[in-house]
Amino acid sequence: MDEALVLNLILWLPIIGVVLLLAARRNDQLARSLTVGVLTLQFVLASWLYTRFDAGAAGLQFASNVPWIPQWGVSYLIGMDGFNILLVMLTAFLGPLVVLGAYRSIDRDVPLFHAMVLLLQFAMMGAFLAQDLFLFYLFWEAMLIPMFLIIGIWGGTRRIYATVKFFLYTAFGSILMLAALIYLVQALALTSSVTSFAFADLYRARLPLSVQTVLLGAFALSFAIKVPMVPLHTWLPDAHVEAPTAGSVILAGVLLKMGTYGFMKLGFPLFPDAARAFTPALMTLAVISIVYGACLALVQTDIKKIIAYSSISHLGYVMLGLLSLELVGIQGAIMQMVSHGLVAAGLFLLVGMIYERCHTRELSDYGGLARLMPVFSVFFMIFTLASVGLPTTSGFTGEFLALLGAFSAAWPLHVAGQSYPLILASVAVLGVILGALYMLRFALTFLFGATTAPHQPLSDLSPRERGILGALVISIFALGLFPDSVMHKSELAAREYQSLVKTSRLPVPVP
Amino acid sequence: MPSQDALIAMLPEHFLLVGIIALILLEVLGLGTRAALWVAVVTVSAAAGAALFLAQLGFAPPAPFPGLFSVTPAVFMAKGALLALAVPVLLMSRSEFADGEFSILLLSSLYGLCLLPSSESFLVMFVGLELLSVPVYALVLLAFRKPQSAEASFKYLVLSGAASATFLMGVSLLYGASGSMSVETFARALSSGDAMSRAATVLIMVALFLKAAIVPFHAWAPDAYEGASVPVAAYMATLIKAAVLLAAVRVFGVVNASGPVADLLLVLPLLSIVWGNLAAIRQNSFRRMIAYSSIAHAGYLFYAFLGDGASRQSAVVFYVVAYSVVNLLAFALLPENAQDDARDNLQNLKGLYRRDPLAAGLIGISMLSLAGLPPFPGFVAKFLVFRNVVAAGHTTYAVLGLIGSYIGIYFYLRVLLLMFMSPDNAVPSERRASGMARMAGALCLVATVLLTIVPGWVIARF
Repeated sequence: MDEALVLNLILWLPIIGVVLLLAARRNDQLARSLTVGVLTLQFVLASWLYTRFDAGAAGLQFASNVPWIPQWGVSYLIGMDGFNILLVMLTAFLGPLVVLGAYRSIDRDVPLFHAMVLLLQFAMMGAFLAQDLFLFYLFWEAMLIPMFLIIGIWGGTRRIYATVKFFLYTAFGSILMLAALIYLVQALALTSSVTSFAFADLYRARLPLSVQTVLLGAFALSFAIKVPMVPLHTWLPDAHVEAPTAGSVILAGVLLKMGTYGFMKLGFPLFPDAARAFTPALMTLAVISIVYGACLALVQTDIKKIIAYSSISHLGYVMLGLLSLELVGIQGAIMQMVSHGLVAAGLFLLVGMIYERCHTRELSDYGGLARLMPVFSVFFMIFTLASVGLPTTSGFTGEFLALLGAFSAAWPLHVAGQSYPLILASVAVLGVILGALYMLRFALTFLFGATTAPHQPLSDLSPRERGILGALVISIFALGLFPDSVMHKSELAAREYQSLVKTSRLPVPVP
Repeated sequence: MPSQDALIAMLPEHFLLVGIIALILLEVLGLGTRAALWVAVVTVSAAAGAALFLAQLGFAPPAPFPGLFSVTPAVFMAKGALLALAVPVLLMSRSEFADGEFSILLLSSLYGLCLLPSSESFLVMFVGLELLSVPVYALVLLAFRKPQSAEASFKYLVLSGAASATFLMGVSLLYGASGSMSVETFARALSSGDAMSRAATVLIMVALFLKAAIVPFHAWAPDAYEGASVPVAAYMATLIKAAVLLAAVRVFGVVNASGPVADLLLVLPLLSIVWGNLAAIRQNSFRRMIAYSSIAHAGYLFYAFLGDGASRQSAVVFYVVAYSVVNLLAFALLPENAQDDARDNLQNLKGLYRRDPLAAGLIGISMLSLAGLPPFPGFVAKFLVFRNVVAAGHTTYAVLGLIGSYIGIYFYLRVLLLMFMSPDNAVPSERRASGMARMAGALCLVATVLLTIVPGWVIARF
């Protein structure tokens, strides 16, 4: 089979699914099964491509390139590379689990819901696969609309407020990114007379530091809102709390990675000199996100908010790893993205399952679930430990490598007399301890102590729920125990990122 | 043979004229009003088809009417696209207008529309502008359902008349300065520094701003749209605006605007974008909201006049087509109501998704496209305009304009909030949009899909 064709199929399958859903719009059960089927097929195809992916070859694989708006140099250019392969796999893996997880909880407007999930899946896949800035922006923005509807229609009591806040926050970043990308392409056309939106061409743009700084600022604002980095994070807790479980899972599992992926693929490599100049500032923000997110998670009484703030903290490590520009750190960052996607998805699914049974998100309403729901509690403990970063789980691999990268970058600087990065890295370690603190506080109150929970007796997890969580647990351990084969797939990309950001691209002085 | 060229060069206009005469005859003879609509639809389709066909052939006679009227394939293309957009307007008029007058007046107005992008002389352009507007005064009044219609019509009449007077004054000053009525004198006057030329260019621009409803010449638009019936408001918001912009393209030609005039082109459109989007947030009437939205869109459109003159025509035509298509889509799917006020009330869209999912979905797409969000055609159009602004070196204004467009996102989202996320609010006398209006919506949807999937192909043709 032609791999490029399969990659296109992976991208467009959800759209085919939406068309099929139109036919199944009167039958809720059919709509559910259809969506699961389509997304499972997508995952199977993605897995097949994953095995065909040649980790030893640099650059794009399975690429398609069709001119789309030739006047502006825009093309439909998609392909797989070390940057996106793991995130594509993550997206494809979570897709069917999300829909299965929402099998019972979504009972209104079922076909519309599934159409939105499919459209979201399409847009996320597209944003990862796109290798053309215009196309990327299209998918990037297109993600907003289905998410807006998912939170706004199936969300909690303050859903309208939360969804409008989500939309307006993220759209503001995108507007400035649009201005910046127009400017970037114009500048490229002027300096090298190449009119193109392809990433590969944009990586050759040479811009003065001042211009790079402004453009990086615009891109970074958009990505930092998505990550989210403190102080641009305030939309996230609202969105997470009000979103239905499926929405939270997609948001935490994939959408947040869009921000860090953006930094890795676009923000830093496009404007390397500005990125290096602002590394201390960005690193400070990353560390603040780690510690501040953890502190906030420590005092939350709403169980969804604990996980929401923990996401802010965990994604701070990704930023830290990316900014270290050390190979271990970058690989750790990539690993942490995937790991957080799996762990946060699992935790949100668990919280959703208990919410379906008890209809409250107040932590103080719960206690002693270990006795009431033993299977649930085992799963909960596994995900808690993975979130804390216990060795043998994926959380450990990612966080450890990211921190290692930060330290190994900071040490030579410290020896040279610059101790600030080292202090930052040390503070980041504090986040690990805080992480253990808030997750264990959560688990302790939740699972142990006096036995209280509304709406008793509680039924333990159904086979469907066990299956979903089981799949996630297997992947978490697989990544924790055997990370090297996975990391090998993205190693060349990490090297490419490193060399792109480390090489100066200021304009060559005219002799 | 020149006479044959002259005949073919005005083929779309001839079709329209034949249609108008046939419609008047039908009316005089008192034959069925059902037929009138179909005669009009066939006529406009034929005119649009002829224009598109001639564009495809690349028909460009040197000078069919020297110094007065000229055609190029691009002009034919623009005419064809706009005439095709008139078909949905006609289709959606069926539920509002039982009589044939609507078709006669609309076709007359379209005749004026066709003259504008072809005019070589300010005389022809003036005739075009008047022919475009005069039938619309009557069209606004024709839906005499409420006192506001008369007020709206009168307001439009007075302000449009003022615009015409300003235009004539500018043209006469130009004539005084150059001794010629050719539209090219405007381009020359733009670069010359003497007071008379400058006054003339400013007067002509103000007239165009008035007609296109640019801040601070915009106040008539919300009242006029609100007083007009739905199809007429749709016509005013889309085709009239498009025609005025095409006239502006013709007037500006391919010169790069510079100096004080360029400042006018920067500041007033920016004000329109910001004010239009801000004021739209407060509206509770659908048509008033669209009116303010159209003020903002006029701002984006005049932004396209900055910078590179050669790509101006294609940018403006693509923008007006993308903008008009989605606007008409929303108007076509608007639920019907015997009471015009109820039909207009935004609150009555509450829970529309439960009552009519298709209409809610399509109006939603239309709103998102108007907000300029990808992947809808409004985004490509916006991109086209702002690319021109950045290329012209006005990056600050591009950023300000984009932030202005960001303000607008909220009120478009509000329509989605009402339709999808509010409890069902069944309005007693409400009916689903009629079959004809849905047909109009379907045509617009096809165009929307086409513009979404192959924007590059479409832009290359304009």
